[in-house]
Amino acid sequence: MKAYLNTMGNPWRVFDELLNEFPYELLNRAWRSRAGLYPRVNVWENEKGLAVEAEVAGVDPDKLDVAVDANVLTIKGEKEQADGTRGEFQRSFNLPFELESEHITAAVKNGMLTISIPRKAAEKRKITIAKQ
Amino acid sequence: MSLIKTPEHEVQKVNRLEVTPASRVEESGEAFTLTVELPGVGENDIELTLENRTLSITAENTVQNFNDHTLVLTEIPEVRYRTAFDLPERVDTTGIQAASRNGLLILTLPKREEVKPRRIAIAAG
Repeated sequence: MKAYLNTMGNPWRVFDELLNEFPYELLNRAWRSRAGLYPRVNVWENEKGLAVEAEVAGVDPDKLDVAVDANVLTIKGEKEQADGTRGEFQRSFNLPFELESEHITAAVKNGMLTISIPRKAAEKRKITIAKQ
Repeated sequence: MSLIKTPEHEVQKVNRLEVTPASRVEESGEAFTLTVELPGVGENDIELTLENRTLSITAENTVQNFNDHTLVLTEIPEVRYRTAFDLPERVDTTGIQAASRNGLLILTLPKREEVKPRRIAIAAG
């Protein structure tokens, strides 16, 4: 069955949404219009650090900026949206631990940005107790 | 004896969500440019077919699995991108070209010669 007839005002797409209990299509479209929530990410962690995968299709890799400041990771860039509007996006993540900004690795492949950041090693200081 | 033969995680793997990818069409005098966003899809993983005048695109994204890490936040699901376009008569379907770059599929759909804008010379007289 050819479900999709044309890209504009596809009548079958509405039908699909009615059939599905959960309107995934609506959510999918909502993502694209919320600049503050772009890009979509998957975040993984372990005791050594953080791994982030972000969808950055359509973003110029030269204009993509990944920055770490204490415990905040920020992804910034410029994207030409599917509906033609060009917009700057910025998304920050507050993490419950500090990150080591010197050892970030970031790579883009097939429109996916993969970031790997180690945690800041805990500083151990020995506190001497003065004898009174 | 359990009636459930297929464990849940295997069912989940097979049944990817079908999603319509974001796309846009731009028009110039020579051709239409159709851009489809397929993040997480490599050019060899795109199924692009033309049947009569219907152009179909199917692709599955690849979402990374970081071994020995715990998943904290999932916003990117594993999906099957699927969309189709009925190309208007103005398009010369034999000249369609496709290129993939950084998660974007860019299709150039040339216009038929007759519909391209032409300058008409005005004879003096």
